Amino acid sequence: MHVLDLDYMLGLLPILLGYLPLTLEMAGAGMVAALVLACLLAVVRVQRMPGLNALAMLFISFFRGTPLLVQLFLFYYGLPQILTFLVAINGITATILGLTLHFSAYMAESIRAAIVGVDRSQTEAALSIGMTQGQLMRRIVLPQATRVATPTLMNYFIDMIKATSLAFTLGVTELMGATQKEAAGSFLYFEAFLLAAIIYWVVVEILSWLQRRLEKRLNRAYQR
Amino acid sequence: MTLSQIAKHALTGLALSAVAVTAHADTLRVGMSGGYYPFTFVEQDELKGFEVDVMNAVGEQTGDEIEFVTASFSGLAGMLDSGRIDTIANQITITPERKAKYAFTKPYVYDGAQVVVRKGNDDIQGVEDLKGKTVAVNLGSNYEQLLRELPYADEIDIKTYDSNIEQDVALGRADAFVMDRVSATQVIKDKPLPLALAGQPFSRIENALPFRDNEDGRALRDRVDDALADLRENGTLTQISEKWFGTDITTP
Amino acid sequence: MIALNGITKRFGAHTVFENIDLTLEQGEIIVVIGPSGTGKSTLLRCINYLETPDAGRLTVGNLSLDAKHATRREILALRRRTAFVFQNYALFSNKTALDNICEGMIVVDGLSKAEAHARGREILERIGLADKANAYPASLSGGQQQRVGIGRAMAAKAEVILFDEPTSALDPEWVDEVLALMKHLALERQTMIVVSHEMQFAREVADRVVFMDEGRIIEQGPPDELFTNPQDERTQRFLRKVLANNPI
Repeated sequence: MHVLDLDYMLGLLPILLGYLPLTLEMAGAGMVAALVLACLLAVVRVQRMPGLNALAMLFISFFRGTPLLVQLFLFYYGLPQILTFLVAINGITATILGLTLHFSAYMAESIRAAIVGVDRSQTEAALSIGMTQGQLMRRIVLPQATRVATPTLMNYFIDMIKATSLAFTLGVTELMGATQKEAAGSFLYFEAFLLAAIIYWVVVEILSWLQRRLEKRLNRAYQR
Repeated sequence: MTLSQIAKHALTGLALSAVAVTAHADTLRVGMSGGYYPFTFVEQDELKGFEVDVMNAVGEQTGDEIEFVTASFSGLAGMLDSGRIDTIANQITITPERKAKYAFTKPYVYDGAQVVVRKGNDDIQGVEDLKGKTVAVNLGSNYEQLLRELPYADEIDIKTYDSNIEQDVALGRADAFVMDRVSATQVIKDKPLPLALAGQPFSRIENALPFRDNEDGRALRDRVDDALADLRENGTLTQISEKWFGTDITTP
Repeated sequence: MIALNGITKRFGAHTVFENIDLTLEQGEIIVVIGPSGTGKSTLLRCINYLETPDAGRLTVGNLSLDAKHATRREILALRRRTAFVFQNYALFSNKTALDNICEGMIVVDGLSKAEAHARGREILERIGLADKANAYPASLSGGQQQRVGIGRAMAAKAEVILFDEPTSALDPEWVDEVLALMKHLALERQTMIVVSHEMQFAREVADRVVFMDEGRIIEQGPPDELFTNPQDERTQRFLRKVLANNPI
């Protein structure tokens, strides 16, 4: 009977935690960039900007329609064979770029749905007092859409944190890569991956707690 | 991690701006999986193994700085092809297909393909007993190819893995795995997994370092080949092999 | 002065109204009555450019524009001169009562937050909701929400406030407080156009009552005349029906 090697896990914990900042950094940067890009895409889609709308739809279709790993391989290994200057992109940047493009496509659709879901009367009221399209978007529609979209967007962020584990295929040793290599050295697979799972889990739980607080705050205006 | 770091990466992510790559002529970038005991693995955050020692010795010989890059095995070939690493030190076996694509050094490891089963499994005594069985191999490794070339390949259920094939055989998910004899022996000896060798090695294999097959790649290959020859001559290769395996695997 | 000249609105092939002319003096209070679906609300929305007229001229004070070919700048200027009170209140659900009132002053008029809040509190005082400054719409009753809606219109300091059936979405218990506030504004000679089914209100408050039917202004005049002695047969029929249900 294989007994859980707690000493090994305890020794491994600080080592694996050392790779957590990189994991969070990639997910955090990916999230910020994806949010910006997703908002732009969503506005293009909502406003049906000529030309751009078709491009946005193509973009969203591609990045939602293909697996993230395929996209990462395509951009990291495939494209540089044609566009050699792309070799200059390192694994971390490529991962962030991949996460950004992939998740922005999903997020754009949630944000678009949230914007469209804001009652038309809110727009009319803003127009009636003389606000411009930009002002009413910024001050009325987006804040209300944010509340609706936040739970979904936070879920994407959590997905993104877990998706950083693909970075090891691009030669970036993050939490998952470090775990794989340590497990290969010790052959204590169960201990190593259990520890990695716990670390991911704790991080996600902390985020979920933050999410609940954020949602409470955003719902403040809607308590009867 | 600071906010400005996040912002910086977010910007690079957005703008696709290029980060300068470390492509100095005097740095040899060596890719490996870090997940192939005892050739390349990590203990206490330190990269170790036979390949690491060999490449460091090569670096001392040529004067090159050795930079190790670890990635999933399935990503290594892509990294070599796209110029992100210069070679792969991960027990790459010379095959006709690979030979057509890459510039190989002379072999530095001679070995055989070995069937490994869960301890107590007497059904499988060698490669000829794999008929009708589930056999695990590493994704992209040449063992898959070796199995497919067997006359009864159709009757073998070949499962490919990115990692952890030993674990899956120990757990009974696969009936056997195939890897090189040397590391199989090592795994059984050192690790707490219920595994046993099944029969004799069934194919002679030669492992070497692949380089890109272009002018620069071939020049680099020649430099490393010379270094390997020197290391063989002065006994360093044997010494490293003895350290990890208790036997010399660097000669035929 | 507010003037509509030849205002026309179509939805596809359907003409809602054609060639509407209507003029108001400053301080005048007009109530527009008529059967449902005759284009009263659409006409009101055209004045605020929530609907784009298909032809005609709109004049509000010193601003006069070709209604079909108005520029973005002209539309914004028109909206700053006209304020709108919605049937369903349409308060900004993410903003407090005070912020609903102050939003336009800050964003459109460029007042500082402090100035806007000072004026906003004055308005809250006038609409009797000083204690609800920090309440969000969801926590207010229908009557309170509509009073904030009127407060938001008051804050715009518009030349005319357009009321689109301001009490028809309200539970009966809240109607009086909203009408009372509107009467109060009328006494201050705030120019307003009210689309409403409240005949009692029209009779008491309006300087002029306009009867619309099937996209046309059929008849208009002081409430005493129009209610007691309607000229057109359609006006008579409408009033008979409405007043039978709700005698004045």
